Amino acid sequence: MKALLKKEFRLCLHPTALIFLAFAGFVFIPSYPYEVMFFFSGLSVFFICLTARENGDASFSCALPVKKGDVARARIFMCVILQVALLALAACTTSVKQLCFSSQAQVNQAGLMANTAFLGGGAFILGLFDLIFFPLYWGAPEKVGVPFLLASIAEFMLIAVFLICRHTVPFVRDVLNTPDPNAMSIKLAVFGTGILFYVLAVWGAVRLSVKRFCRIDL
Amino acid sequence: MTALSVYGLQKKYPAFELNSIGFSLEAGRICGLIGANGAGKTTLLKSIVGLVSAEGECEVFGHSFRREERVVKSLIGYVGGGFRYYPQKTVRAVARAVAPFYTAWDERNFCTRLDGYGIDPGKKIAALSDGMKVKFYLALALSHGARLLILDEPTSGLDPLSREEFCAEIVRLAREEGAGVLFSTHIPSDLMRAADDIVFLSGGRMLAAGALPELLNAYAFVEFSDEAQARETGALGIHVGRNGCTGLLPRGKGAGARSRPATLEEIMVCLELEERRKEE
Repeated sequence: MKALLKKEFRLCLHPTALIFLAFAGFVFIPSYPYEVMFFFSGLSVFFICLTARENGDASFSCALPVKKGDVARARIFMCVILQVALLALAACTTSVKQLCFSSQAQVNQAGLMANTAFLGGGAFILGLFDLIFFPLYWGAPEKVGVPFLLASIAEFMLIAVFLICRHTVPFVRDVLNTPDPNAMSIKLAVFGTGILFYVLAVWGAVRLSVKRFCRIDL
Repeated sequence: MTALSVYGLQKKYPAFELNSIGFSLEAGRICGLIGANGAGKTTLLKSIVGLVSAEGECEVFGHSFRREERVVKSLIGYVGGGFRYYPQKTVRAVARAVAPFYTAWDERNFCTRLDGYGIDPGKKIAALSDGMKVKFYLALALSHGARLLILDEPTSGLDPLSREEFCAEIVRLAREEGAGVLFSTHIPSDLMRAADDIVFLSGGRMLAAGALPELLNAYAFVEFSDEAQARETGALGIHVGRNGCTGLLPRGKGAGARSRPATLEEIMVCLELEERRKEE
């Protein structure tokens, strides 16, 4: 697995995947739907899988002394590393904004303000993308577009739900959309639930992907 | 020592079936896998290396693919058709990505082979000629101690000189380094240059398997006065061409007709024609 992960980073990693990590800085844009940074994370996964397809990576990797299922596992783990890095960077930029900016500057008219609850929402978005994209992709690795389209639609629908709730649901508007450390226990619960969903979604994505990939012929 | 044993390999697709293929290849020998386009050569090779899941069993140097997949794969150097792997990466980058998979990887051996082939490790794979790409993949395989080389149409698209160089190289690898080589092609002259053994596929079925000289000795190419005479003698792959009516007969049959030893190409064409005639 270690060698496969190294191979993924050396051969399959698309440069945009690293550039899009810098989008954790979106939280400093005034009144912007910060959740969009998580869509870009999905876009980088799409580019990675597209690069792999164009280079015949599935056949190349499966001919190496590895189990076929590990090829799918390694790709997903690389993407998870990038997603966790994005969440960690977003946590850093959110903390900087919470500590260094005034309460007035925290207000986000476009969506949820950058706080702990927002990070939990990000974990939900990433998990949903993984759960839809990877099993579809590993069922037919030569078709990257359709899985990405379907996963992106689901992602944007979830983002839209977050944005609508921020304006219309009192609990979200008045409790979750407040600067930290206000209502911190509730926000931590949202964050924890988001992370739990992400972990379960990745676990499900890995299981389904491996199962589907092992069934196909290359 | 047996490098590769294939037992009853079967793969069913809606429109094609690879039908109970079985053969073996000794270490130090070169086996040519021949057949027309769509005969099942690539499917067979992919089934052997596990890219296609097929029924049956494959053993590499006595190790079962099903039970010891990683061990078997570490003994194999597989080069798929088209050499399309990572064309925009450098030779060095691909080698660095591949090396950690093999405990037996020998960096010095790899550099020596690249040097011998005249390949610059800093060059992008796309910048290598097709002949150089084959040699790069050979260097990659041999540097991790592969003892069985499985090559899917390695000479396809190569000019005659590069094909000659490739054939000379695999003969050297088999004779001097004891590697078993299984390669598919539909170019008979490559087989005549390099192959010791032949596996002949047609429509997913194995028409012949064995030593090349035995196959060549088994048939005579015969010119008949007319088609009726050809049919009467039971000739295979009867066809009418510029030289009249011709066909294939087992050696010793058809006394009186004008016959000569059949070439590999004539055997391939006639057996293939006979198969198609049976299907009709």
